[in-house]
Amino acid sequence: MMTAKTETAGHDGPGRDQLYAEHLKIYPQSVSGLFRRIKWTLLIVCLGVYYLLPFVRWNRGGGLPDQAVLIDFAGRRFYFFFIEIWPQEVYYITGLLILSAIVLFLMNAVAGRVWCGYLCPQTVWSDLFLLVERKIEGDRRERMILDAQPWTANKVLRKIAKHVAWLVIAWWTGGAWVLYFADAPTLVKDLLVFQAPLVAYLWIGILTFTTYSLAGFMREQVCIYMCPWPRIQAALTDEWALNVSYRVDRGEPRGSLKTNDKLKAEGQHAGDCIDCKQCVVVCPTGTDIRLGPQLSCIQCGLCIDACDTIMDKVNRPRGLIAYDTDINIARREHGLAPIWKLIRPRSVLYVAIIAVISGLMIYSLTTRSTLGVNVLHDRNPTYVVNSDGSIRNGYTIRLINKASATRNFDISVEGLPEGAKLEIAGSSTDGPLKVSLAVDSDQTREVRALVFVPGDESHVASTDIAFRIREKATGETATHRDFFKAPQPLSAK
Amino acid sequence: MSLMDKHVVLEKNSILLVLGIIIVIAIGGLVEIVPLFYLKSTIEKVEGVRPYTPLELAGRMIYIREGCYNCHSQMIRPLRDEIERYGHFSLAAESMYDHPFQWGSKRTGPDLARVGAKYSDQWHREHLANPRAVVPDSIMPGYPFLARTDLDYRHIAALVQANRLVGVPYTDEDIANAETDLVAQANPDGKDVKALQDRYAVKSAKGEMISIPVARDFSGDGKVTELTALVAYLQMLGTLVDFKIYDDKANPR
Amino acid sequence: MAKKEIDQHSGIETTGHEWDGLKELNNPLPRWWVYIFYACIVWSVGYFVLYPAWPGITGYTAGILGHSSRLEAIADVEALKTVREASAKDLVTASFDQIRAKPALMEFALANGRAAFANNCAPCHGTGATGSTGYPNLQDDDWLWGGKIDDIATTIRYGIRSTSDQTRVSQMQTFGPPPGGGDPVLKKDEIAAIADFVFSLSNPDYKAAGIDNGKKIFAENCIACHGEDAKGNQELGAPNLTDKIWLYSGTRDAIVAQVTNPRHGVMPTWDGKLDDMTIKSLALYVHDLGGGK
Repeated sequence: MMTAKTETAGHDGPGRDQLYAEHLKIYPQSVSGLFRRIKWTLLIVCLGVYYLLPFVRWNRGGGLPDQAVLIDFAGRRFYFFFIEIWPQEVYYITGLLILSAIVLFLMNAVAGRVWCGYLCPQTVWSDLFLLVERKIEGDRRERMILDAQPWTANKVLRKIAKHVAWLVIAWWTGGAWVLYFADAPTLVKDLLVFQAPLVAYLWIGILTFTTYSLAGFMREQVCIYMCPWPRIQAALTDEWALNVSYRVDRGEPRGSLKTNDKLKAEGQHAGDCIDCKQCVVVCPTGTDIRLGPQLSCIQCGLCIDACDTIMDKVNRPRGLIAYDTDINIARREHGLAPIWKLIRPRSVLYVAIIAVISGLMIYSLTTRSTLGVNVLHDRNPTYVVNSDGSIRNGYTIRLINKASATRNFDISVEGLPEGAKLEIAGSSTDGPLKVSLAVDSDQTREVRALVFVPGDESHVASTDIAFRIREKATGETATHRDFFKAPQPLSAK
Repeated sequence: MSLMDKHVVLEKNSILLVLGIIIVIAIGGLVEIVPLFYLKSTIEKVEGVRPYTPLELAGRMIYIREGCYNCHSQMIRPLRDEIERYGHFSLAAESMYDHPFQWGSKRTGPDLARVGAKYSDQWHREHLANPRAVVPDSIMPGYPFLARTDLDYRHIAALVQANRLVGVPYTDEDIANAETDLVAQANPDGKDVKALQDRYAVKSAKGEMISIPVARDFSGDGKVTELTALVAYLQMLGTLVDFKIYDDKANPR
Repeated sequence: MAKKEIDQHSGIETTGHEWDGLKELNNPLPRWWVYIFYACIVWSVGYFVLYPAWPGITGYTAGILGHSSRLEAIADVEALKTVREASAKDLVTASFDQIRAKPALMEFALANGRAAFANNCAPCHGTGATGSTGYPNLQDDDWLWGGKIDDIATTIRYGIRSTSDQTRVSQMQTFGPPPGGGDPVLKKDEIAAIADFVFSLSNPDYKAAGIDNGKKIFAENCIACHGEDAKGNQELGAPNLTDKIWLYSGTRDAIVAQVTNPRHGVMPTWDGKLDDMTIKSLALYVHDLGGGK
């Protein structure tokens, strides 16, 4: 079979055949600089939040769980600090997801794949795994030599150490995940004495496997082949967005330091790029940024750090690789000064959408009702005629108390004719059409309500009524409209 | 290696690839579908399932005509939550006389597989005329014209016969009496009720007559309207199998 | 096949597809991707072995796990029952008042009662408990044997004219010709007069010549059970004749028929067929339908 060999970026370099490409292992070299420092900081913050958040406590009172962030499937609640979400309020989660998407769009409009390069879990965990790999097996050169050499005791030892360390991190990742679904301190104890539910171990197992394989082995393959985001973001970015770019106008024609210095001394045109390939060897995805913006580049900025280090050494100005816009690259080629435009329709629109959505969410969250009422009219029979001729309708009322304290409600019915009365078994009556009921904290209570209307010739087949519940202490109300059904009046027959 | 070379031909020629996909899917489909036509075990042995009476059959046609299946399924899946809400999961036997079946795939409204005998006729009448008159939050359209439209049952015998043609075990007698049976079921005091019930009830293993069709004034006005037929159909849905005597464990799937 | 076209910029072959001047590069798929595809095929083999998969001539391969979605659902429902039995225990020991005092327990009892009613009572009393001719309506406030919760529980437990030793029994006298032959207790016109009188009790506008006579005959024959005011006696299961609620229809003809040759319904005893918890739940459910006293 014929093999088409081409020299291009790392992931599809030598060794590929027509249909399927062999995976070429990438050995990213360590680097230091501004963007590396930003990445370390974000890594510590993100992982710190992820691993420690389940242990943060938040007192809610009323016998509710005191975990700040908790997804309680059994109790059907989602707790987030002062927010408690019931299943029927899942639209808050939807809103949050929409908000996240628009924030991602905005990031993209301003500075390209910021998410990919700095915040994506795949990037963060791969970075962490690479750090472990480097500590145990050494930097790029040592790792390449180690992999190429035959299996010695040293190699076996180092490989085992690395995989054990990876598995421990992966296991810890899975372990932290399940803590979001149950009381964290209790679950940790249960996990240690093997008393935790099977599903907890199962999820830890699944996440250990995915973390270990994705951050240890798949790495850049996830970004290049599996993730849809690089494709989507290509449609979201524009010529004004900041992207990690190689300044072709300044770098080319590239040449060795000596050659180019000589050319420059002779007054001829020569680029600043000395073709040291440092930008390629530090890249976690093996991309050559000098080929221009491309799918495999996650824009983490490490090549900027690498190039700046070299430029410092050879006494050339920094910024041969830098955050730049397509517009400015084009302008420089024509000898024009760079221009920047942060405020443009795209970014303004995103900010506006974010403001509207978060405004709506904050408004509805702060003004949302902590009580609710649902009423279901009996369907069989729709009405009952009693021995004294009075007409009765039955309703099933569900009261919802979202507060973390037992509260007392007044239930009343409006729209009924004179002489009507409301009865609810097991509750005290405050008048013919008003009944008091207590509902436990953070609970719903279902009661059967009976409404009686005296039977006379004046009744009509259907009367619009409304059930109103009122919280005694605060006066907060909720209403549900329904009907009172009666037989067809004699006059209509 | 050589096999991989051959694969290139498929991957680079879209017509060949489409043909290959069709052949593979056809094999999968045949293996899945064909056995359903000859495997007897796909339909449970149950007592009580009978063909629809002419009135119920007419109601079923209105159900189909009005597109009720677009929003209502008739298929309770074997899941705890569905069993809790709707009742026992649906059996294949319960829709074996359905041509076409009304399992549906979308639940804008609730499942109707066991709606029969759950609510009163009165409720169904009001609900069909104006759903908001009984369920304030309903988004179902109203069908007030059903009560005003007399049921056109001129072709009911032909409909019963057509059902027999596709495998429903109606007898010659059923076909001959289709029209009287239809009218009889809407008039509980009529003289033909007994004949209808004798014809359609089935004998259980114990020798009792079960699944006796209910004769009632379904529309509440003594007339045979489209509403009569539809309510009669709805009120029998899912009521034929007596789950107290049905052996669940004998019919795992 | 079309001749190969190499993209000048990247040096990679293109697929020949072009959109608005953009050409698609024919980059190879990574080999591991193919391996995952093969792994899926291997996985399916495991699936064939473990789960129901292949149809045969008379049946299908059941798989060594013996999986059945139906049995799984049934097991889920059973498991739920076990969970609910925890609440059920409280139901057995608590009195009716104690159950009412605990909203959660009451909610459970009513839900349990609703399910038990649909399974056991609906065939006679109807799914909506509205009854029909000969089968009492349990929704209204007219009770033959008492509408207090304890009365209802007793009726459910021991039945009426049932096979239980402690069954509630009442027997209305046959005033017409006895089935075995012989002289009737009351003559036809006397029965007609009673019917006129009884019918007038709930239909004040009804005028008939026999009413006054009927009142006299009623006082001689009927007040022992139905009371002087004809309002019945729940101790004896004698119905109230003054209201508009009738077990066997309230027309004058129906009254004549009932006096001439009374019909007596039977309610089976549920003692032993339903456990204590279910009978209690049913009593609460029926009582709280709205007619309970």
